Amino acid sequence: MKEVVLDCFGEACPVPLVKAEKAMVDLEVGDLLIVQIDHSCAMKNVPEWARGQGYNVEIEEIEDGEWEVFIEKTK
Amino acid sequence: MKRLLIIKRFKGVNYLSETNATSSLSQRRSASRESGRTRKPKKNLIPHGIATFIIFILLGAWLTSKEPSLGIMWMTGIAFGFILQRSRFCFTASMRDPLLTGVTSVLRSVLVALAITSIGFWAIKYGAFVKGLPIPGMGYVVPISFATAIGAVVFGVGMVIAGGCASGTLMRVGEGFMMQILSLAFFVLGSLVGAHDMGWWQDNVISKGTAVFLPDYLGWFGALFAQLALILVLFIIADKWEIKHSDGQGGH
Repeated sequence: MKEVVLDCFGEACPVPLVKAEKAMVDLEVGDLLIVQIDHSCAMKNVPEWARGQGYNVEIEEIEDGEWEVFIEKTK
Repeated sequence: MKRLLIIKRFKGVNYLSETNATSSLSQRRSASRESGRTRKPKKNLIPHGIATFIIFILLGAWLTSKEPSLGIMWMTGIAFGFILQRSRFCFTASMRDPLLTGVTSVLRSVLVALAITSIGFWAIKYGAFVKGLPIPGMGYVVPISFATAIGAVVFGVGMVIAGGCASGTLMRVGEGFMMQILSLAFFVLGSLVGAHDMGWWQDNVISKGTAVFLPDYLGWFGALFAQLALILVLFIIADKWEIKHSDGQGGH
């Protein structure tokens, strides 16, 4: 049940998505990936990709224009 | 204790599954990360919004007093930017995400937007044609040539690296994304280089192609039908593409 924080502040779309995809490969079922983003486009496609994969996703706006996307690897 | 509802999709049917608080993602994180870190409260941005809105209106009124069409451009530009930002509409993502993740929701919304604008532009042009007026926008009917294909490839590579197309870059500069200010600077520089070499492309490549205005070939209604039918076919392909590439988990 480990947590991995992926710092993608300042990275433009699609870099956060590609990084999240790569980080997810190394995680085990039940692990949590926290992607930190401030690019509004990534705020859409990272959760969309993760939901498409069937993972549990939650989004929290931690600052104005900064988000943390929580992705739980479920399979 | 706060309980969380998660909607899960199973074989195309939505059902509600209640997960208890211990398995909620934000609960898990609040247990491990939140402790020892106090978050500063968010600034209330509503007064800024109201002030900006008033400035927009005053500037719009001033522009309209100078030249009525400027006021219309001002309002359309702001409305376009607002919708672009709030909807997270992104032309780059529409072309890139189908190949990167198999998600085609943005691509499909671009196709819907194209269909709506096709009908709108058709109505404007057909209206002018029926009244016997000169058809507006005919200056944009330009020859199809290799320049179109070369330009599309260069623009496509550029927008994916820069993180946004022309409108997307402008919108994110407005959002305050620093990297995209750099994109904008080089976008302006690239446009200057493009404008400088446009004459060469015009003489050597573009003028060798043929200009096609669909109503000349298919009739007014045939052109509209052909265009909408093509968009519908692309929409169906995009929908099938997403189903094929997302592990059958839905994701619509």
